[in-house]
Amino acid sequence: MLPRFWARLAWAYGLLLVLGVFFVAPFLMGFLASLKPDPLEWPFRLRFAQVSPKNWLAAWGLGRAGSGDPWLGGMRPGREVALEVAYFVPRGQEPGLSAQIPRRKPGAGMGAVFESPYAADHVRLEGPFLLERRPARLGEAEGEVYRYRLRLVYPAGEGPFLERVPLDLEVERGVVLVGATLDPTRFERRGRVASWDNVVPGLLGYVFHNYVRAFRETRSLETGESLFLRWTLNSFLLALAKVLTTLVFASMAGYALARMRFPGRQALFLFMLFSMMVPGQVTFISNYLVLRDGIFGLSRLFGVETLLNTYTGLILSGLVGAGAVFIMKQFFESIPREVEEAALIDGATPLQTLFRIVLPMSTPALGALAILTFQGTWNEFFWPFVVLTSPREIYTLPIGLLSFRSAYGQVGDWGLILAGGFFSMVPVLILFAVFQRYFVEGVSVGALKE
Amino acid sequence: MRLKMRTMEGLYALLLLLPFLFTLGVFFLYAFLRAFYFSFTDYNLFSSPRWIGLANYLRLFQDPLFLTALKHTLAYSAIVTALQTFFALLLAVALNRPLRGVTFFRTLYYLPSVVSTAAASLLLLWLFQRTGLVNQALSLFLARLPHLGTLLALFLVFQGAQLAWARHRKEAASFWDPASATLSFLGAFLGVYALALLGLVRPLEVRVEIPWLPTRATFLGLPYPLWAIILMNTYTTIPTFMVLFLAGLKGIPRTLYEAAALDGAGPWVTFSRITVPLLRPVLFLVVTMGLIGTLQLFDQVLFVGGSGGAPLESTITLAYYVYGNVFPSGAQPRVGLASAAALVLAGLTLLIVLLQRRFGVSERGWS
Repeated sequence: MLPRFWARLAWAYGLLLVLGVFFVAPFLMGFLASLKPDPLEWPFRLRFAQVSPKNWLAAWGLGRAGSGDPWLGGMRPGREVALEVAYFVPRGQEPGLSAQIPRRKPGAGMGAVFESPYAADHVRLEGPFLLERRPARLGEAEGEVYRYRLRLVYPAGEGPFLERVPLDLEVERGVVLVGATLDPTRFERRGRVASWDNVVPGLLGYVFHNYVRAFRETRSLETGESLFLRWTLNSFLLALAKVLTTLVFASMAGYALARMRFPGRQALFLFMLFSMMVPGQVTFISNYLVLRDGIFGLSRLFGVETLLNTYTGLILSGLVGAGAVFIMKQFFESIPREVEEAALIDGATPLQTLFRIVLPMSTPALGALAILTFQGTWNEFFWPFVVLTSPREIYTLPIGLLSFRSAYGQVGDWGLILAGGFFSMVPVLILFAVFQRYFVEGVSVGALKE
Repeated sequence: MRLKMRTMEGLYALLLLLPFLFTLGVFFLYAFLRAFYFSFTDYNLFSSPRWIGLANYLRLFQDPLFLTALKHTLAYSAIVTALQTFFALLLAVALNRPLRGVTFFRTLYYLPSVVSTAAASLLLLWLFQRTGLVNQALSLFLARLPHLGTLLALFLVFQGAQLAWARHRKEAASFWDPASATLSFLGAFLGVYALALLGLVRPLEVRVEIPWLPTRATFLGLPYPLWAIILMNTYTTIPTFMVLFLAGLKGIPRTLYEAAALDGAGPWVTFSRITVPLLRPVLFLVVTMGLIGTLQLFDQVLFVGGSGGAPLESTITLAYYVYGNVFPSGAQPRVGLASAAALVLAGLTLLIVLLQRRFGVSERGWS
């Protein structure tokens, strides 16, 4: 018989593993799908062109040949790129290979608005040149494999930098593509047309095709700058500002509530708890009006008519949250009083005591609060969505994702939508990987400590 | 002199509290009172509010859209809270063992909780497409039903055989013995594999193509898109509450379990007589937090709706109803109506918290 101990261990770890798969798999699959040209393919395959090292090397090489940039690729004047393809041709048939650089728009939705130079106007296609013919079998069928080389030449001289060079290869019915330097993005017309969205992608441009598109295609109509990049920066700045104000003001208020005696202290605490329970939908109407009128007209003193669509308004309206004050109060109460009493007896003011003595001792709580605030602000949706409406340059990332969803949802461009979603997770995931202890304990900090 | 000290301390406290009081006063207290006032008025954000008494509340309960939103919100809240509490507790109990590497797994499970609702909604949209992963997984599951059925049958057969063998040799044996279960499982697995190779067990041909999102179809009285949101949100919130339960479980003394084991208590008795009663404060906290959180469902409704998504009546919630009335597309804002709906939402939340306090939640249950 199997020893009981080991059997029990096996079941326990088996359970952990199954749960692990359950909680991580959808995210992992979503991430893989965000790399695919068609994220909704049925059946979902785990092996596809973007995860094959052969294609990584090819994409790197082609990108370097096209523009000297192995990461993001592209093509410059005076460069030349060679691509090899191999076709299986059944006996008694000709491959009838014809190649062309199609005039294709770079994308749908926002990406289609911009006028970008067509590679077809600048790049000359040479070939296909037959390199080799040899007999081969493909399954049941007998025939020959034809190997071709194609050269894409961008003549030296004046010409724009091409971000992408698409390519279509068409063959007779029954002829099958069996190998290529770089696997095609997709097949059309029952496999007769093999299509490359970009034959000079570079490594990142190939593997993270949809991510690069998210940055390149989502551009401002007025200035042409990358909106996606802008949203990311906005989210960062807002989160940093929120972390700063929260840390300072929450520790101030928390300290007063934890240590000082003043009339109405208990009432204030209870009221704070009450405010944490009221849904944001109750207060947002008035808050919207308050920001619209520049906080009772006070902002006019600084020459600002309204605080809507500004980050100042967003920061001012959320200087410090009740939850953060609560966490700091709970933490300060856990510090022994004697530490501060010594300082107070020596004649330090409460402010000095707080900033010189108590706060340096509070780094664990401040760290946890900083991380939770960052995560909270980075992920916050409702209130920024109400305050920031136009222009699109001022969106934060979650609101940007909503405009992604409406721009690309209709055309079913799921690669781009998923790429945007996963990109927005990156900072929080990095934070989580480094400080996971704070995340996991953070929930219970405010909740369980008495 | 003493009095002066007191005054000084009060002034310092006021100074330290000033930013917080500003936020709390302007953006909470004033806003709350104003919402209360608006709910009795007719107001469109531009002209000045006109007092109309209780008319908004009356109109609210005659508006079918509001009643739908109310129904959705209550059902969503109850279902998600029940599911997430149950599974989080189950998981926490399963994870609360001194196993090597268990912290790693806890961290792993927490992952879905860190992600923003916006990103999670996009993932939800993708998962629940017609050719999405959910339909594919359902198809795979249904197609493999013969295999799973055979696996279960073989497992039971092997387990029964081992049990009979042990009885025959007069040994103490239990159906749940991990060692024999492992053997039976391995045996059943190999058996199914062999049968599949021989072609005796074949997968069925099933292709599930449920249109989860662009539909008005309902299941158990709730629309499909709402079910999709329910599934997804339960999935992302389980880990948060699991962590709370784990923290609570740590506080239960081991000696209690040891004493119970000495008295011969089985796992179910231990769970229902020791774990659950001692977890009561955490349980109440989890239920309260779950209810408060779920009542405010908004982001997912916005993401799941829209072009190529779910029709509004299938997903609308109270929070969305409020927003939709303040910023309706192509119509005058109905701030009074929205405020009334928002206060109904707040009233529901406060009612739940008060009920929780009434039925034995200690101070710990707050926040």
